[in-house]
Order: sequence, then structure tokens, then C-alpha cells
Amino acid sequence: MNASVSLGIVGVGIASVLIFATLAARRANLDPQEYIVGGRSFGALFLWLLLAGEIYTSFTFLGAAGWAYGKGAPAFYILCYGTCAYVLSYFLLPPIWTIAKERGLLTEADFFAERYGSPRLGILVACVGFVFLVPYVTLQLTGLEILLRIAGYSTLNSATAVGIAFALMTVFVYLTGLRGTAWASVIKDIAVLIAVIFAGIALPIHFFGSPAGTIDRVLATRPHWMTLANDLSAQGTTWFVSTVLLTALGFFMWPQSIAAVFSARSAATLRRNAIFLPFYQLMLLLVYFAGFTALLVVPGLKGPAADQSFLLVVQHYYPSWTLGCVAFAGCLAALVPASGQILGAASLVAKNVAGDGFGYATSDAERLRLTRILVIVVAALALTWWLVARTSLVGLLLIGYSGVTQFFPGVVLGLRGARPPATAIGAGIVAGIAVVVIAAALGAPTIAGLNVGLFGLIVNVAIAFAVSAMSRS
Amino acid sequence: MMRYALAAIPVTMLTLAIPFVNRVEPRIFGLPFLLAWIVLWILLTPAFLGLVARLDRSP
Repeated sequence: MNASVSLGIVGVGIASVLIFATLAARRANLDPQEYIVGGRSFGALFLWLLLAGEIYTSFTFLGAAGWAYGKGAPAFYILCYGTCAYVLSYFLLPPIWTIAKERGLLTEADFFAERYGSPRLGILVACVGFVFLVPYVTLQLTGLEILLRIAGYSTLNSATAVGIAFALMTVFVYLTGLRGTAWASVIKDIAVLIAVIFAGIALPIHFFGSPAGTIDRVLATRPHWMTLANDLSAQGTTWFVSTVLLTALGFFMWPQSIAAVFSARSAATLRRNAIFLPFYQLMLLLVYFAGFTALLVVPGLKGPAADQSFLLVVQHYYPSWTLGCVAFAGCLAALVPASGQILGAASLVAKNVAGDGFGYATSDAERLRLTRILVIVVAALALTWWLVARTSLVGLLLIGYSGVTQFFPGVVLGLRGARPPATAIGAGIVAGIAVVVIAAALGAPTIAGLNVGLFGLIVNVAIAFAVSAMSRS
Repeated sequence: MMRYALAAIPVTMLTLAIPFVNRVEPRIFGLPFLLAWIVLWILLTPAFLGLVARLDRSP
């Protein structure tokens, strides 16, 4: 009975949002530019909602609460890096957009191919982007499964439910493209805001009188929970600062983020976005309150189980309709970013690998059709991979962020008039990713307290300069 | 140059300054000091970027 109420809310909710967004995004004339980057027509508010829709995923919320529950103050790094990334975006994104508009670029790999005059470099970037994106989609599937399992009070075959929700979303992306993701983001952002206010304010008030009361109680038993270790340990202050800096650089380097940037109507739109996006970060503060409350109410969850913490509180202490509403918001926070990621991965393969690499599907109509077919292929690949090999994905996910950060030097240098040769940029990316992969294989998240992604970036830039100098002499 | 200096202020406060504000007391609106510091600078970031935008418009 309980399960049918909460799952009913989730199911009807998701179906309604997808239908609404499909109708809202319907366009008579679809071409690749409309499908992949929304016809470069999104104004400030619509773009703000799309970016928030794609950036704040189910794992931002589950993971942020999980870290507040399991680690304490290290969780605050998420607040800092997003804000730093928005400051950087004020300067970085408008010139990228201007180039994309002038040259009609559709993907991040297009940017590399065009700026360095090398379709091969574009193929490399497309392949790297694809390899890191597919596990990111599967991460959303894991988030979806957690939400559906808890919403179903564990009565449900969650793999089947995940498959159905994901299939619906795939049909939706097939039909609508990026404009559909943007419309679904509008609903998702509102639903998530309400759920987060509930979880971050109503839960602490219910159990401990106020968020401050929750913090008092946490500090009474764990005096060090709200501060960082002042040393070079795994999550001390050195780790904190280096990770914030690294992840701020990588923030907009994800291919689906660049696609969202290209969808802006003007460079001024992106500047306005940069000014207002930091306010969105404050939602995370409420998520921490929810995590802290869960730490006191349902203690003892270990490892990844901590990600479920505040959902379990809602499940145990609130009626099933409340759980259904929170889970609905959470499922949208998994499905909406996944839709953007799938579209990003499909467009990289269609445009840069098939089109530029093999001269296949180069007319507008063919390219649109191929991108849509690849949407289904990527979704099927992600779902299969998730069903078959869930655990082996964790490694790829951990390095995904450090991995896409290796695009940063190429993007920044690509904005200048005098640019290094494509081989230098390509060698730098390969070397940087090699460092990150080797460090992950050795199980070293930090070296001397510093995030390994920074070492990858240093090697990346050093190799790029060395190859550039060699090719000049 | 002025624009970059202005933008660098919130970034510095959210990164390099963190080891110096890494404490619980004084609590501000119930928040531990470290968290309150971070929240304060998130709220100030749009103001700094707004100033940068103003400089951009009137060169």
C-alpha cells in the first residue's frame, strides 16, 4: 500500500514531466544545430535552468548528503568548487561561445578540431569525452536505483523499474534533443528545490528544533565534524584547496556542459548566468543539514550506504506521499542530467568520429538521423554496462572528473591567436590522462595531500610545451 | 586587470584562505565558522561578478 502510493507519485510524475517537456520542445524543423545545441537560442533564464538542471545531479544531492553524513567538513568542498567554477566561467565561456557561433560548432571536439586545424584531434577529444561520459550515465542509473528502491520500500524489482524509467527518458531524448532537456530541467529544478527545502529545513526542525540545533548535537558527539584536518592527510586542508582548484577548472569541460554553453543566445547571456549561478550553490547547504540530521537519526550506515541516509529518514518517519514527492524530485535529478549526457556522447560520435573521421552522414538530415540512432545506442550501452558490471565502473567514475579536466589547457590555449600545434595538445591530453589513470590504478587519490588530477594537469601542460617546442625547431 | 583582481577575491577566499578559517567558533547563525565563511563568500560572489560586469560595460 505504502509502496504503491509513493511509486505511483514517482511514476505518474516522471511520465507527466516527459510528456510536458516533449510537447513544449516540439519544433517543426529539426536540424542538427537545433537538436544538439538548441539552435543557439536559449535566453538567460532558460539557460540558467538548463545548466542547473544538468549540473546538480542525483549524485550531487545523494553524494553531498552522504559526505556530510560520512565525512563531515570535507563535503564543503562541493560548495566551494562550483562557486569558483562560476567565477572562471564569466571569463572563459563567452569567448568559447563566440567562436562556436562564428564557426557553427556543435560539440566540444569541434572546438578542438577547428582551433587546431585537426579533425584527428577532434576525434581524440570525442573518444576521451565518450569514454568518461558513459560511466557518468551509469552513475545516474545507480542513483535512480537507490531512489526507486527506497520509494518502493524495497518491495520492487528495482532493475526493471530503472530500465523502464530509462527507456522512457531515451525515447524523450530521441524526440526532443537539448530543448527537451531544458524544458524538463525547468520542472526538475522546481521539484528539487522544494524537496531540498523540505529535507534541509523541515527534517532538522522535526527532530532537533532547527538546523543549528542539529549542528549542536553533531558537535556534542563529534567535535571535529565541522572542521578539516589541518594537515596533509587524505582529506585535510591541502586536499581541500587543491581539489577545489582542480575541479573548478574541470567543471565546464564535460562535453554536455559545453553543448549547454553553445545553446546560449549570446555571450552576454553566459556572463549573466555566471553572476547568478552561485546562488544555486546554497541548496547544497540545505542538503548538508539533511545529511547531518540523518547522521543523528539513522547512524551507522557505512560506505556508499551513507548516500541513502536522508532518504531513509524520510522513509521511516514520514508518510508515503512525502517519500514519493522527494523520490520523484530525486529521479528527475538522475534522468535530466542523464538525458544531456547521452545527447552529448551521441553527438560526439555522430559529428566527430563518424562525420569528420569517416566522412559518414555529413548532410544535415543524415547527421540528425545518425545522432538520434546513437542516442538509443548510447543509452542501451549504458544500461547494459550498468546491469552487467556495476562495480567495475567505480574506477572510471573516480577518474572521470580528473580526466575531462585534461581538456582545460587545450580550451584555454585555443582561445588565443597564436596556438600550439595539434600534436602538442593531443600529446598533453594523452599524457595527463595517463597520469590520472596510473594514479587511480595504484589507488592513490592524493600525492603529498594534493589531488592527483593536478599532477596530471602539470604533466599535460609540460608535455604540450615540450612537443610544441620540438615541432618548432 | 582590475576585473581579474576583483574576480580573484572570492576565489581566494574559497580556496587559499580556507586553512585560516578552519574552526568551529565563533558560530554564526548557528553555523560553524568554516561553513559560515564559505556561505558568506558564495553570497558575495555575485556582487563581485556584478562589479566586474559593470567595469566590462564602461571601459
